[in-house]
Amino acid sequence: MEQPESSSLLHIAEVVHWIALAVMMLVYTLRLMWLFKFKGARDRQKPGEQGDTSLRPALYSLGNVAMPWAMESTRKGMGFYFSFIIFHLGVAAGIFAAFISGLYPPFLETAVVAYIFTVIIGAAFLVSVGRIVRRIVRPVLRLISTPDDYFSLFTLTVWFAIGVLAMLYLGGALEGEGYMVAYLFATSFFLIYVPFSKISHYLYYPFTRFWLGRTLGHRGSMSTIKG
Amino acid sequence: MTTKPKTYKVDKMVELLKPKLSRQVVGSLVGCVHCGMCNDSCHYVLSHPDDPKMTPSYKADQLRKIFKRNFDWTGKVFPWWVKAKMPMTDEDLEKLKDIAFGTCTNCRRCTFNCPMGVDTATLNRIMRGLLTRVGVMPEGVRVVSKDSWELGNQMGVLKEDYVETIEWLSEELVAEVEDDRAEIPIDKPDADVVYTINPREVKYDPRTISNAALIFYAAGENWTMPSWGWDQTNFGLFSGDDVLGGATYKHLADKHKELRGKLLVISECGHGYRSTRCEGPNWSATDQDFTMESSVMTMLRYVREGKIKLDKTKNSERVTFHDSCNNARSCGFYEEPRELLKEVVTDFQEMYPNRTENFCCTGGGGAMSMSEYTPRRLASAKVKADQLKATGAKIVVTSCHNCVDGLGDLIKHYKLDMEVKQLVDLVAEALILPEKPAVEEPVAAAAAPEAAVEQPAAAESARATDGPGAAEDHPSLEGKKILVVDDDPDTLAFIEMVLQDNGALTVTAANGDEALEKARAEKPDLITLDMWMPGKTGVDVFVELRNDPEISETLVCVISGRPEFRQVIYDRPVKPPEGYLDKPVAEDRLVLNLRKILHLRRKS
Repeated sequence: MEQPESSSLLHIAEVVHWIALAVMMLVYTLRLMWLFKFKGARDRQKPGEQGDTSLRPALYSLGNVAMPWAMESTRKGMGFYFSFIIFHLGVAAGIFAAFISGLYPPFLETAVVAYIFTVIIGAAFLVSVGRIVRRIVRPVLRLISTPDDYFSLFTLTVWFAIGVLAMLYLGGALEGEGYMVAYLFATSFFLIYVPFSKISHYLYYPFTRFWLGRTLGHRGSMSTIKG
Repeated sequence: MTTKPKTYKVDKMVELLKPKLSRQVVGSLVGCVHCGMCNDSCHYVLSHPDDPKMTPSYKADQLRKIFKRNFDWTGKVFPWWVKAKMPMTDEDLEKLKDIAFGTCTNCRRCTFNCPMGVDTATLNRIMRGLLTRVGVMPEGVRVVSKDSWELGNQMGVLKEDYVETIEWLSEELVAEVEDDRAEIPIDKPDADVVYTINPREVKYDPRTISNAALIFYAAGENWTMPSWGWDQTNFGLFSGDDVLGGATYKHLADKHKELRGKLLVISECGHGYRSTRCEGPNWSATDQDFTMESSVMTMLRYVREGKIKLDKTKNSERVTFHDSCNNARSCGFYEEPRELLKEVVTDFQEMYPNRTENFCCTGGGGAMSMSEYTPRRLASAKVKADQLKATGAKIVVTSCHNCVDGLGDLIKHYKLDMEVKQLVDLVAEALILPEKPAVEEPVAAAAAPEAAVEQPAAAESARATDGPGAAEDHPSLEGKKILVVDDDPDTLAFIEMVLQDNGALTVTAANGDEALEKARAEKPDLITLDMWMPGKTGVDVFVELRNDPEISETLVCVISGRPEFRQVIYDRPVKPPEGYLDKPVAEDRLVLNLRKILHLRRKS
């Protein structure tokens, strides 16, 4: 279904959205520069008996996210693992939708595509609500959670909710571009807030996993080495 | 609102933290998302399900708070938003000490279960190190660190005691196999193998040294033990003190180079292996320019090369294997012991989970030296006890001295019907001893390594029948008057019987008062002393004994079922006991240790 021509508000939202992206990129760059300002530790030992000095164990460690069987915590918590997958697919779908809606509007105006995005983001919303409950109910998580943890999760949940409405609007099930405007502004807020919050963990993830794999691989205790 | 003044120690900690902030460490500090995935990987959590403070991320957060407050943007500007916070008072530091030392053994199981790759165990070790450097540490850590600095080994063994013990073991072995070439060389230059040990072996378990020497002899190895730099353990790993860690490592490395050894072999010890192999070079900022291996690998190589022959039917009871955390998770060393086990036992039962997923023995991370945390440690051992029980094994084998103590302790606490052994014991037990093994001389070694092969077995039968004390020309218990003190009639009867069988004259006492009375009246050569007795405890008896000029020089060997109180007796302001054994004590171990004590007295 074809959408009416964009209003000036929607246009402003799109512009803000791109500016926010630029800010995010800048802050991320500064974050990485800060991280790499610290010296890189070097394992001075000779490689272990089964040690591997190649990149293989580091890459294996990076691929850990797609191997729930590799860790006891994911192997025994498949439910949590799949909720993690849904949650992060929702984030990826939401960000993609925000940008593609400006770059190539017809893509999401196809009803089937819009509904697929609705389902993904909707599922992520449900997981996100579950995560809020989990964080509040479990004493362990209450103890370790910071205001940033709660706020990040809460605002993401709201963003998912607005995202569902925006996808329904793009798919033609709802009327009123206000959903899309709100969605783009919410996304902009995230793009700016994320580098300062715990959500920036995905920026660090590749490095922490890579370094851990490198170290343990060198010593021979990364499971891939032993087969 | 008033702000509490910051103790100078806190400022010092921040100063000390700065150089420890490598990219990897910072990655672990900023990477945690507080997802709680690490929670169920920790044995403290599993055994204390109602205490959220046991969760690994909470422990790591203690360092994270300091880091964020001082080094991270958000934490500097909006500390409350990310819970960035500085400890302020000495009480705060005491709480941190309790968390870092008393609720974590640095086993690294959480690290392996973190989807983000956060190395929580390393963060906890850094926290320990900061606290240690400002003098906030458990008393046991302080004592052991002091011994390491002053005497070069963590159990305060004097050089002359060490050398005399090795010489005595050497004489024993030579007599046992009736071959002079079975002697234990000390400081022999250009040896193919330089063998280093855990001081626990000299002090409490010399049989493991004899067993290793027997294996080297049977393999025809050209080997030696160093007179200095012989302690392969490294308390710097536990205290987090990299300076101590580096210095301890250098003792070994420098002595090895001085002796021009070809291969440094360390006895079965998880943290010793990790410290020497992996961490020592990093702590001392020196590249590892020599080759080293665990004695497990050495023994396995001997089997593969046909240098030793084994009869696995000698070890027919069901055996399981416990992976040391330091060996498995930090060094990737877990298949070799299994391969060797298959050569020395007939019934091996795997423990689950195992290898890098195995649970800690709960005595790791220096926990055995921190008696104030013993009740918590033993409660956390429930997970391990269940794991052991499920195997149905009678023997749990481990390649780590710390694990030997930790497992032994929990086996007693949970009343499991099993004992702990090391591979060196099983290999020595299964060894088919050649009549005259060809001990390689340095010159001949390169020319004919094949010469070191087994020959017809004959001495083996002599060794099998010769129990401790059988060698006639060596000091035995013959004619020695020994006062046995224990409130448990069964233990008393057992020790008395063993000693009498070995020629000793025994006197017994069932409580502290009686013990002191008989010690004064009988003037025994040696006293075996139980620590935990109703009324006057063994500690009280010991102190009174040491303060009585008439009997203060009497040799004392403590035999106790409460290893957690070991430190108590060593902390008394009197000369320490000459020996210490854990209950239940096996006959050969008892006799060997008492003979060692009597022998060292005779020499001195």
